[in-house]
Amino acid sequence: MNVIVTTLKRELMAYFYSPVAYVIAVLFYLFRGLETAGLTRTYETFPREVDGFTTSYIFQASTNFMIVLVPPILTMRCFAEEKRTGSLEVLLTAPVREFEIVLGKWLAALVFFAAIWLPTGLLLWVLTWSPFLASPLPLGPAFTSYVGLFLLGAMLLAVGCFTSSLTDNQLLASLSAMLFNIALMALPGLANQHLPRAAIDNNIVRTLLEQTNVYDHLQNWFTRGLIDTGHLAFYLGGSAFFLFLTVKALEARKWR
Amino acid sequence: MIRVDNLVKRFGQTTAVAGISFSVGKGEVVGFLGPNGAGKTTTLRVLTCFHPATSGKAAVGGFDVFDDPVRARQQIGYLPENVPIYGDLRVEEYLRYRAALKGVPRRQRRVAVEVAMERADVFDVRRKLVAHVSRGYRQRVGLADALVARPPILILDEPTTGLDPIQRRRMKTLVRELANEHTILFSSHILGEVQDVSSRILVIHRGELRADGTPQALLQTSHGRRLVVTARAPAERLIALFGGLAGVSEAPRVTVLADGYLTLDAAVGPADDPRDAAALALRALDVPVRELRLQLPTLEEYFLQVTEGADARAAQQLAGASA
Repeated sequence: MNVIVTTLKRELMAYFYSPVAYVIAVLFYLFRGLETAGLTRTYETFPREVDGFTTSYIFQASTNFMIVLVPPILTMRCFAEEKRTGSLEVLLTAPVREFEIVLGKWLAALVFFAAIWLPTGLLLWVLTWSPFLASPLPLGPAFTSYVGLFLLGAMLLAVGCFTSSLTDNQLLASLSAMLFNIALMALPGLANQHLPRAAIDNNIVRTLLEQTNVYDHLQNWFTRGLIDTGHLAFYLGGSAFFLFLTVKALEARKWR
Repeated sequence: MIRVDNLVKRFGQTTAVAGISFSVGKGEVVGFLGPNGAGKTTTLRVLTCFHPATSGKAAVGGFDVFDDPVRARQQIGYLPENVPIYGDLRVEEYLRYRAALKGVPRRQRRVAVEVAMERADVFDVRRKLVAHVSRGYRQRVGLADALVARPPILILDEPTTGLDPIQRRRMKTLVRELANEHTILFSSHILGEVQDVSSRILVIHRGELRADGTPQALLQTSHGRRLVVTARAPAERLIALFGGLAGVSEAPRVTVLADGYLTLDAAVGPADDPRDAAALALRALDVPVRELRLQLPTLEEYFLQVTEGADARAAQQLAGASA
């Protein structure tokens, strides 16, 4: 526990010291601010269902940026950099276990990821009073949407940790994690388009496609205020799986 | 404190360590000597549980490095070669972080870090970023890190490489001071250092242990010792005298001194001491004798012998066997 907390603190500090994190934050807020301004203007000009506002607000183009590109950038350093400089040796010859280090680093990335999202949540809360909305915004679905984003972030950050533990090249680590993220996002859609109908009608394939359809989880479940235990299990299980692989990748130095 | 039994480490096809055994007792300062690539770092990494061994056993402070790596590591302060440490922290912050990571209780951390900074002499750079301190300080920051949790054993991998002569001397003094409280195993390929600091040396070459003992004892029984005699007598009589001595294995080298004296010297077998026999023989010759002594090789000569010399001897034997 002590090691996890110490690692978490140190890694968080590293995020706040590093310019990369600020560049990400500035880009995201700039992008997001412009988008949100556009969105509120649309609602001002053409009043419509308030319910749709939360979904539209949370799923703007910048959300994709935060899901596909940012987690790999946050985690690319984790192990690749330690391997490159050799500080992994200093780290792992202290009386620590690999899983403690992995958990500490992943949690730090997750906390930082959540911290970047936090202001957008506050802004939504401020917007609940905005005059252009006919009725107050329901906050429950907004909350579950953020839970969904957080869970997805947790899993993608675990993927990033894993790719970072495989190489000493940060660029390679982040690019391969991005590739994974893009595949995860695009796969269900591609499958629906290109797989033969019979295959999709197959129970197992359909369940698989439904359960792994990240966009569907977010847009049709979490934003409607629904947290399905199956989805919860998918994200938590996915995170655990990739963290486990990361631990094994670190331990792999022992098999050589 | 440290026990290594028949340790073997292979990386794929290459054998880095080929079955070495040694032990280090409490309070000893042991120098681990060998040319680059001899297997020093690999052995130290096995001891710090960074690499597991291919076969064999190793234990540190009574804890097996394979079965109980966390407790074994708690016994060790490790200074790796090149000291790869985080550059984005200040020296003091870095040491606090390391103290926390090593499980120093929160209340004792401040004191532990100050004591370690004091011992390793990095107090004046405590506020600097690790990335900005000089090579010598960096090395000492690494040493402070090794000391911070007060481990009974210190393992230092080439603590003096890359340091200038003044820094190197300070590092040596430091290691000597630390020897009062810690058992120390340090590797080096600089012989002077090892001789100055350590109570015992281990020589490793091509993954094998070639020598183990105090520097003095190793030199006493080594190849490369020479019997030296300076006397005034006809050269052929002195050469004949050398030829009659047991343990002298070659014809002596003769040097004529300006005042008519001759100095003869010849290699002596590793277990032989022909001084008494030589003294008696010289007395029988009844000539003036200025000098009779057994010259020990320097540690450097010794080192070359047990490494390259041994290789050459083995090659000769092989050639002899096949011929």
